[in-house]
Amino acid sequence: MTGAILFTSVIAVLLVAGLATLASAQDEPLVGPKPPVAVKPMESHIGNLTGHAADAKSDYRRYCAGCHGVYGDGNGENAVWLDPKPRNFTLATFKCRSTLTGTLPIDEDLYNSIARGFTNSNMPPWNTFTKQQRADLVAYIKIFSPRWEKEKAGEPIKIPPEPPVTIESISHGQALFAKLECWKCHGTHGEGDGPSAATLTDSQDQPIRPYNFAGGGNDSRFKCGSTNQDIYKIFMTGVDGTPMPSFADVIQPNDAWDLVHFLRTLQVHRHGKENVVLMAAHGVIPPYVDKNAAPTAAPADNKAPGGGQ
Amino acid sequence: MRTKKTLLALLIVLVCSSLMFAGTVSGKVTYTGTPVKQKPIDMSKEPSCAKQHATPITNETVVTGPNNGLDNVVVYLSSGAPDDGQVPSQTITYTQKGCQYIPHVLPMHVNQEFEILNDDQTSHNIHPLPKVNTEWNKSQPPGTPPIKEKYDKPEFIPVKCNIHPWMHGWFVVLKTSHYDVSKDGGDFKLPNLPPGKYTITAWHEDYGTQTADVTITGNETKDVNFTFKAKAY
Amino acid sequence: MRMWAQSLLICRRSPRRHSVMAAAFAFILLIVVGASPRASALPAFARKYGLRCSACHESWPMLNFFGQKFKDNGYQLMNDRDAPIWQNPGYWPVTFRITPIWHRVSTNKVATDQSLSGEQKITSSGFDLSGLDFHTGGTLEKNFSFYVLPSSDPTASFHFETVMARLDNIGSSPWLNVKFGKFELDNLLSEKRILTLTGNGGIYQLYHFIPANDGNIFGQMGDNQLGVEVMGHSANDRTRYSVSLLSSNDGQVGLPYGAESYSTFITGSQAFDAGKLGVDRLGFYVMAGEAPTSWLTGPSGGGPNGVIPGSGGNNRGYSREGFVGQFYFGPHIDATVVTQHGEDSAWFGQGYGDYADGMAPNNYVPGVSALPAGSRNPTWNGVLIEPHYVVNPQMILLGRYETIRMSQQSTPGTPSNLGNITSYTVGYRYNPFMTSRAGFAYHGEYNWWHQDGTAPDNTTNLTSSELLFGIDFDF
Repeated sequence: MTGAILFTSVIAVLLVAGLATLASAQDEPLVGPKPPVAVKPMESHIGNLTGHAADAKSDYRRYCAGCHGVYGDGNGENAVWLDPKPRNFTLATFKCRSTLTGTLPIDEDLYNSIARGFTNSNMPPWNTFTKQQRADLVAYIKIFSPRWEKEKAGEPIKIPPEPPVTIESISHGQALFAKLECWKCHGTHGEGDGPSAATLTDSQDQPIRPYNFAGGGNDSRFKCGSTNQDIYKIFMTGVDGTPMPSFADVIQPNDAWDLVHFLRTLQVHRHGKENVVLMAAHGVIPPYVDKNAAPTAAPADNKAPGGGQ
Repeated sequence: MRTKKTLLALLIVLVCSSLMFAGTVSGKVTYTGTPVKQKPIDMSKEPSCAKQHATPITNETVVTGPNNGLDNVVVYLSSGAPDDGQVPSQTITYTQKGCQYIPHVLPMHVNQEFEILNDDQTSHNIHPLPKVNTEWNKSQPPGTPPIKEKYDKPEFIPVKCNIHPWMHGWFVVLKTSHYDVSKDGGDFKLPNLPPGKYTITAWHEDYGTQTADVTITGNETKDVNFTFKAKAY
Repeated sequence: MRMWAQSLLICRRSPRRHSVMAAAFAFILLIVVGASPRASALPAFARKYGLRCSACHESWPMLNFFGQKFKDNGYQLMNDRDAPIWQNPGYWPVTFRITPIWHRVSTNKVATDQSLSGEQKITSSGFDLSGLDFHTGGTLEKNFSFYVLPSSDPTASFHFETVMARLDNIGSSPWLNVKFGKFELDNLLSEKRILTLTGNGGIYQLYHFIPANDGNIFGQMGDNQLGVEVMGHSANDRTRYSVSLLSSNDGQVGLPYGAESYSTFITGSQAFDAGKLGVDRLGFYVMAGEAPTSWLTGPSGGGPNGVIPGSGGNNRGYSREGFVGQFYFGPHIDATVVTQHGEDSAWFGQGYGDYADGMAPNNYVPGVSALPAGSRNPTWNGVLIEPHYVVNPQMILLGRYETIRMSQQSTPGTPSNLGNITSYTVGYRYNPFMTSRAGFAYHGEYNWWHQDGTAPDNTTNLTSSELLFGIDFDF
C-alpha cells in the first residue's frame, strides 16, 4: 500500500521535473541575432514518394546539423575539423547530378547521395533511413536556397545502353583520356598525380585532390557511385563546385562508354570485366586507330598515358 | 494621314534632340604609389602555350601604362540611368589563347550572350566562380565549338582554368549598357548619355571600387578621372 | 556498471524525512535543469568523425539504427577514412564515463539481528557515485577494430569489462566479421547501453534471471562473455546475424572453471522500412549450453575454499530463447519488446552448480548425489516492454515493465509463484547541450521491483524501490 502511494507520488515528482526540463528543452537556442530557420513548405518527388520538408526538421537536427549547420550553410560546429568541407546548401551547387553542369539536380540525385555517402569524406552512407526519411530530408535541404523556388531541376542526361567491353573500346578510351587531357590532373596512370594536381582548389578555395583511380581495392567507389553508369554521369555532367568540368558538350555518347571502359582499367585492384578483357590482351592496350579519320601521326607526346597494368 | 505625319515629325525631333544632347563622360584611370611587381608565369608544364610567348608573360592582376595609367578597370553607370532592359545584340567573345584570357576582363550586360573560344592546342576548362549566379564548369578541348553562355544577375565573377592554375580572368555582369574597360594607359569613354544625374563607378579587381557623380545637361563631354591607391603587396 | 548497481541496494535511515528531502532535491534539480540551455555519446567516436552524439544515439547511450550499423561495421563509417592514419596524430580513442548521483533506496525486508521477526524495512538516501568506465575503442587499421573497457566499481577496483579485437568485412563482405575476446553478447536491446541507472532498474531482469535456489550462474545474457563471435549483416544493416561460442564461466577470467563447458548464443533479426513509422525490426535469440555441476577441491586449490580452477565437470544443460522487436511509431515514439522462455536442468534447479562468482552451490559427487524424487527442469517465461518518448534529440522520457513468471518449479509442491519478478521503471534523460565533444545528461529515474517469496524468511515477498537523480557524463 505504502509502495503504491510512494510510487504515485514519485511519478508525480518525476512528471513535474520532466515537464520542466521539457519546457527548457526547446529547439536550437537563438545564438546571436540569427533567427530560427523558417521551414518552407518544400516538397521532393522520388518515384511515388513525396517528401515534406517539415517532416525532416528533427532528423536534420539530429543527423545533419552538426556538419551542415542549422542554417544549411556548411558551418556546423564540426565543419572546421572536416576535409573536405561539408556541402553548403545555400549555394544549391551539388557534386553528384544526372543533369548538366550549372543546373539543379533532380530530387533522385540528392536522394541517392544521402544513402550512398561520399567516399573519402566525412559524409557516411545514411542507408539506415527509411525511404520516406530520405525524401523528407531532400525536401528539407531545398529550403536553404531560393534557387529551388525559381528554377526547375535540369533534365537528366540520356545514357545509351552500354556496349560490350572490347580491347578496341579500351584503346579508344585511352586515346580520349589523352586527348581530353584527363591526365593533367588524374595522372597518366590515374593515380591523381597529374601536373596540375597539386594546384587544385574547390570553389570555396579549399585544396582538393583529384580522384585516384588506382588507390582503391576491389570494392573501390567513386564520389558519385560505383557503377559504370555512375562514372559515365560523373564526367559527362561534371562535379560542380570542384575543378572537375563537364564533358557533355565534348564527348559523343558512345565515345563516353569507351572512356568508361578505359577508366575501369585504371582501377588496377578491381576484378572488373574491363580488366578481364585487358588481361586477355596480355595487359597491353594497342594504340588507337581511328578508322573513320584520315591517318594522322600518333601523338608523340611522351606524357600520353601508358597502358593499363 | 495627317496625324501620322505629325507623329513622324515629332519622332524625328525627338531622335535628333536626343542625339544632339547626347553627352559623353571620358577620362583616365590612374594609380598612385607603387604597384606590386607582376610575377612572370611559368608555363613550362604547357609547352604548346609557352612557345606562343617569346618572353614569359606576367600576371594580369594589375596592368599599367605610361603616366601611371591603370588598365582593366571597368567603368560603368551604377545609378541614374534606369536600365531599359535591352540586351545588346552583338556577340562578345572570351578567348583562351596562349593560356591567357583575352580580354582579361569581359564586361557584359545581364542576359547578354557571350562566346568562349579555345584557340589553343590544349584542353581548357572554363570555371567561373559566381556566388549569386549559377556555377558551372565545362571542358573545352581544342577544336570544339564555342561555349555560349549568359548570366541573369549582375555580379563580378572570377574565372579560372583548373588545369592551368595561372589562368585568371573576370566576367563583369552589369545591369546597364553604359560601360567601358580602361585601356591603352587607363583611357575610358562612356558615350551616348542622355541628360541626367549619374553615379559612375570604377572597379578594379585588386584595388576595389571608386565612384564619382556627374551631371550631363546637353551635348557635352565631361571629364571624370579616377585615381586608385596601389597596394604595395 | 552492474557491480555498482548492486552496491546501491545497501541502505539505511528513517523514511519520513526523506520524502521531504527528495522533494527538496527534486526542486533544486528542477532549477538546475530549467536554467540550462540545449543533446549529446562515446565522445571518442564523435570526436573522430565530427558527428553529433545524436547521429548514433537515440539518446545516449542507447544506439539508434545508424549507430548500430556503425558498430556492426566494426566502428567504421565505411568511407575509407576509418583507419587511424586519417586521424590527427594527437587523437586518442579514449572516453571516461562516471555518474555522481543522489538516490533513495527502500527495501521492505532485510534480515537484521535487531528485529524480532528477523527482518525489517530499511530506507536510506544519500549522495553516491558510480564506478568509472574507461572506454577505448576504434580501428587499428581499415577493417581491424578493437574495444577495451577497464571498468571500476565506486572504490576504483578495476576489472576488464570488455577486451576484444575484431576482423571486419572479411573478403570485402559485410556478411563475415569475427570478434575474439570478452565482449557483450549481440543483444538488440543492449544492457551496456541501458538508459537507466538504479540497482534493479539499471539492469534487464530478463538478462540475469535465475530461479530461486537454482545453482546455475551461466546463461546470463546481460554479462559480457569470453569467446569468439561470427557476425554479419547486409550493407544497410537491415538483415543481421550473430553466432558466438562462449566459455561457460560468465566472463570470469582465469582458467575456465568447467573443464570443457561451452555455451552458444545465436541471434538474428530483420528490419523493415515501415514508411512513415520508421525502421522496425524483428529478431530472435537463443542462448544454450552446458555448465558444470561439480568441482574438485584440494591442497593445490587456487580458488575460494580450495577449489581447483578448471576442475569443473558433470555438465548439465540450460537454454534461454525469445523474440525481440523494435517498433517505431514515427519520430517520437518507439517501443522495444523482448520475450524469454528459459529452462535449466533439474540438477541446477536442485541447487547444483559450479563454484564461480563467489557462490557455493551444491557440489555434484558422482555415484553419491541424486536428484530428489519428482525433480523437474525449472522453466519460466518473461517479457520486457520498454517504450520511449523522444521529445527531441536532447530529451527522452522512458518507461519499462518487466515480468518473469515461473511455469514449472523444480521441486514439486513449491509455490508456483516463487521467484516471480515484476519491475517498473520510469525516467528521463536530458542532454543540455549537443556536440561531438562530450556527453552530459541530467538523469532522473524511479524503479519499483518485486519478487514473490524471496524475502529472507523465504515465504513472503520482497519489494524494493529506488529514486535516483544524477548527472551522467563522459568526455
